[in-house]
Amino acid sequence: MSHSTRCAACKSLRRRCPKDCVLAPYFSPTNPQRFACVHKIFGASNTTKMLEQLPLHLRAVAADCMSFEASSRVEDPVYGSVRIISRLQEQIIEAQSELVKTKGEIDFHNAQQQQMQQLQMIHAIAQEGEDQP
Amino acid sequence: MSVNPTSSGGSGGGGSSGSGGGGGGGGPCGACKFLRRKCVPGCIFAPYFDSEQGAGHFAAVHKVFGASNVSKLLLHIPVHKRLDAVVTICYEAQARLRDPVYGCVAHIFALQQQVVNLQAELSYLQAHLATLELPSPLPPHPSTPPTMMTPPPLSIADLPSASSVPATYDLSSLFDPMVQPSWPMQQRPMDPRQLGGSGSSSSAGGGDLQALARELLHRHGTPSPGSVPCSSPSPSQSFSK
Repeated sequence: MSHSTRCAACKSLRRRCPKDCVLAPYFSPTNPQRFACVHKIFGASNTTKMLEQLPLHLRAVAADCMSFEASSRVEDPVYGSVRIISRLQEQIIEAQSELVKTKGEIDFHNAQQQQMQQLQMIHAIAQEGEDQP
Repeated sequence: MSVNPTSSGGSGGGGSSGSGGGGGGGGPCGACKFLRRKCVPGCIFAPYFDSEQGAGHFAAVHKVFGASNVSKLLLHIPVHKRLDAVVTICYEAQARLRDPVYGCVAHIFALQQQVVNLQAELSYLQAHLATLELPSPLPPHPSTPPTMMTPPPLSIADLPSASSVPATYDLSSLFDPMVQPSWPMQQRPMDPRQLGGSGSSSSAGGGDLQALARELLHRHGTPSPGSVPCSSPSPSQSFSK
C-alpha cells in the first residue's frame, strides 16, 4: 500500500505514517471506522504489538478478526461477539432437536412400511394356500 | 463513581468478603496486584478480580485490551451488567492469547460450520421424510445419506453482527459443555476466503473458559451449571497455528 497518504491509524493518532507502518496495510484511510473500533477496544499500541508478533502472511486475517471483535464489542459493550457465539449455540441445539425429531419420524415410517410388507407377504402366502387344491 | 460490591450477591466477589475495594484491609484486588498499584475503595476492577486468581485473569485482559480501555468500557456499563461484561472480556482475552490470529472468531467459525452441517443434514432428512410420506411406491432408500453438497467456505464477511441477534441472552448457557463445538480434526489454516478446521485444542480452551465463567458466576452468587472448578487458566500461553 502506498503511504503517500496516511493510513487510518496514523490519521487517527495524528502522526506521520512511515513507509513501514505496521498498521497501514490493514487500516485503510477509506475506512476510518474500522480503526476507530480497534483503537477503542484494543488500543493502538496493543494492536500494533499483536500484529507485529505474527508472521506477515497471517496479519491480514488477524486484523480482520480483531476488527470484527472490536466492532462487536462497540455494538454490544456487555457481550461483544460472545452474543453471536451464544446465538449459534442455540441454533445448534435447535437443529439437533429437529434432527432427532425427523429421524424419529423416518424410523416410524420405516417401521410402518416393514409391517405392511410383512402383512402383504402373509396375505400372499395365505392366498397361495387357498388356490392350491 | 463507586462500585456496588453487593450487586452480584456473592461473598467472594472482591478482594475480601465482597468488599468493593482493597482499601478496606483485604489487600489489593487482582487487577491492582497485577498493576502494582494501590487498590482504592471503589476500584472498578475489585468486584471481579480477586486477589488470588484474579491477577491471572486480569493479566490476560490487560495484555489484550489494556487496563485503561477495560476500565473505560466498564464505566459505561450499568453496574448490574458488569459481571457479564467482565466474563465475556476475559473470555475474549483468553481466546486471543490462545489463538493470536483468530481469537474467539475461531470458535464462531466452528459453530457456524456446525450449524451449516446440521442444517444440511436436516434438509436432507426432511426431503427423505417427504418422499416416505408420498403414496407412490418408494424407491429403496440408501442406508447412508449420499454425499451432501459441501457447504461453501465461511468468511469473516459472513459473520453476523452483534446487533442482528436477539437481545435476550443467558450467559450461563454460553459455557454449557453440551453445546461446545466439536472441533474438526483438519489442520488446514483458516483464512477469511477459505474456511478450514481449526484443529486447535479449543475444547480444552473452552473447558478452561467454562471454569473461568463458572468461577466468576459462582463468586457472585449467580446460579451456574455444574460444579465450580478452582483451576485458573494460564493467562499468557499462546500458540500459533
